[in-house]
Amino acid sequence: MLDAYVTALGMVLDPYVLFVITLSAIYGLVVGCIPGLSATMATALLVPLTFFMPPVPAIAAIVTTSTMAIFSGDIPGCLLRIPGTPASAAYVDDSYQMTLKGKPELALGIGLWFSVLGGLFGTAVMMVAAPAIADFALGFGSVEFFWIVMVGLGGAVFIGSSTPLKACISLLIGLLIAMIGMNNPAGQPRFTFESTEMLGGVSLIPMMVGMFACSEVMRHMVSGGGAPPVVIQKIGPIFANMWRLTKQYPWQLIRGSALGTVIGIQPGSGADMAAWMSYAMSKRFSKEPEKFGTGHPEGLIEAGASNNSSLAGAWIPALVFGIPGDSITAIAIGVLMMKNMAPGPTIFVNNPENVYALFLVFVIANLMMLPLGWAIIKVATRVLTVPRKILMPIILLFAIVGSYAINNSLFDVGIMLAFGVLAFVLEENDFPVAPVILGVVLGPLLEEYFINSMIKSDGRLIGLVDRPIAAVLAAITIGIIGWTILASMRGRQARIENTAA
Amino acid sequence: MKFNDLFGGLVFLALAGLVAFASWNLPNPSQQPLGPSAFPLILSGLLALCAAILAVNGARATESGPLIGLADWARSGGAILRLLLVPAAIIFYMVFAETLGFLICATLILVVLFLSGGTKPVHAVGLSLAAALIIHSIFYLGLGVQLPWGPLEPLRW
Repeated sequence: MLDAYVTALGMVLDPYVLFVITLSAIYGLVVGCIPGLSATMATALLVPLTFFMPPVPAIAAIVTTSTMAIFSGDIPGCLLRIPGTPASAAYVDDSYQMTLKGKPELALGIGLWFSVLGGLFGTAVMMVAAPAIADFALGFGSVEFFWIVMVGLGGAVFIGSSTPLKACISLLIGLLIAMIGMNNPAGQPRFTFESTEMLGGVSLIPMMVGMFACSEVMRHMVSGGGAPPVVIQKIGPIFANMWRLTKQYPWQLIRGSALGTVIGIQPGSGADMAAWMSYAMSKRFSKEPEKFGTGHPEGLIEAGASNNSSLAGAWIPALVFGIPGDSITAIAIGVLMMKNMAPGPTIFVNNPENVYALFLVFVIANLMMLPLGWAIIKVATRVLTVPRKILMPIILLFAIVGSYAINNSLFDVGIMLAFGVLAFVLEENDFPVAPVILGVVLGPLLEEYFINSMIKSDGRLIGLVDRPIAAVLAAITIGIIGWTILASMRGRQARIENTAA
Repeated sequence: MKFNDLFGGLVFLALAGLVAFASWNLPNPSQQPLGPSAFPLILSGLLALCAAILAVNGARATESGPLIGLADWARSGGAILRLLLVPAAIIFYMVFAETLGFLICATLILVVLFLSGGTKPVHAVGLSLAAALIIHSIFYLGLGVQLPWGPLEPLRW
């Protein structure tokens, strides 16, 4: 294992890889900082570029961009009260209050310092846990994997969502899109409409660019509006009080990091849920809960550490089982598959140096966040004023060329448009978009595991649950679904009683 | 565009029906107990179930509401026009990329989009040229993607 780590270190310290990491870091920080451009969009726009890179820099670009963008989403939250990414929404009141009190450097410093610590914590857990789980999962057969994917999808649809029914429909649409083409156990062309371009299935990159970039541009076109003016012009020393705060709130840091990692591991809930839950937990256990929301550092520390640690946590199921925890890891899994590094427990046996390289990229990205994050905070007041009406058309052009570039195909540009419109219409009607991409990525796997399991058991359904681990996973899946249905029925009952009273 | 859930449910119900119809008779060359039609059929069944629940909920929630409502932004003609510019720009690129080439197409698209956002014409043209050239360099020089040149072919660098 040590040998593999040495090899991995050599791969990561390659000048080209370091160059990619640095550029991705700056890109992620800037995009995350601009309100209205999400971390997911930043990652999706990057995918066409990674297509042209070797595996390690490609993955490094994705990991670095998402890590940086989640942190820098704190900046507009603090200075403008507009969270740059949804993951910063939980504590935007506290950080904005600090700005109003003339202490933006305190809020931004906490965001930076504790994001780094949380990120390193999550990375450490990932480095220990992922290989161990993979080792355990090596004995899994298609039945176990079928249920693991089911748990993942069930969690994504039923736990992380406020509208489980609509999320479920989104997921099914994604799964059905995955059925297009010949990529199925029988190798039979399905739903191709006699088109040769569709035989290979819907290309993943134009689809992701359409769903996460094109649809954002469309949403900007109807909402318009620029960012409100920045009040604060001067930002003081950023790291001044961080050591004191670390000593003052060690438990908050550890609790936030740990909860964030666990939420990240649990499929379907990502950085934004980690931040909300950690903020709530911090308030509940605090000695001074009345200070929350008025510019108090405690919740910021816990939730800021939490959302960054969840990013690393989300990679554990992604690497070991190929189950994405959120839309960013779904994109990353697409990139891994593209690079012939299909995730799964065997990747730790066949390609350990690539996996360790990924771990090291996480460490480097988090360490690099200290100087680069400091720099972006110093210039933030200027980045925030870059008008979106200038950026959005350029993003659209980038999306067009990016979709075209991978196959030199105008058909792919059409795919990008189609999925941009689909995502826009779905979101307008409160259907979440992330389950669609989860369904598309996991659909072929789910079908393969299902069909293989059924063939092994001669078509008897009992074959899906007659092994102990499979039975436990099946029970978890059914538990998640059943609990959600019960909860929603109870909610409706309560509403009816409320209106009657 | 804001649809009533009843309408959305019916659309997805129809989609489920179409998928089921299209997958019913898929050939099963290897004669496995579950052929290529099995999984799409299961999915379309589940989709039909969810869509039906959505339709019923939607019908219950708004007995008399319109089937297709308009979101707030859709009441302003300008917003609708700006929204339509996005698909129009992409379709324009798909149709004219080969004949006009990337640089001309991209500049035209950007100029129109910038102007629609209220950017001053002089700035719009300058920014468009700069952005088109930068993106062209990233993909053509940096990644070796063969973007079409169109009438600028003699200038190819």
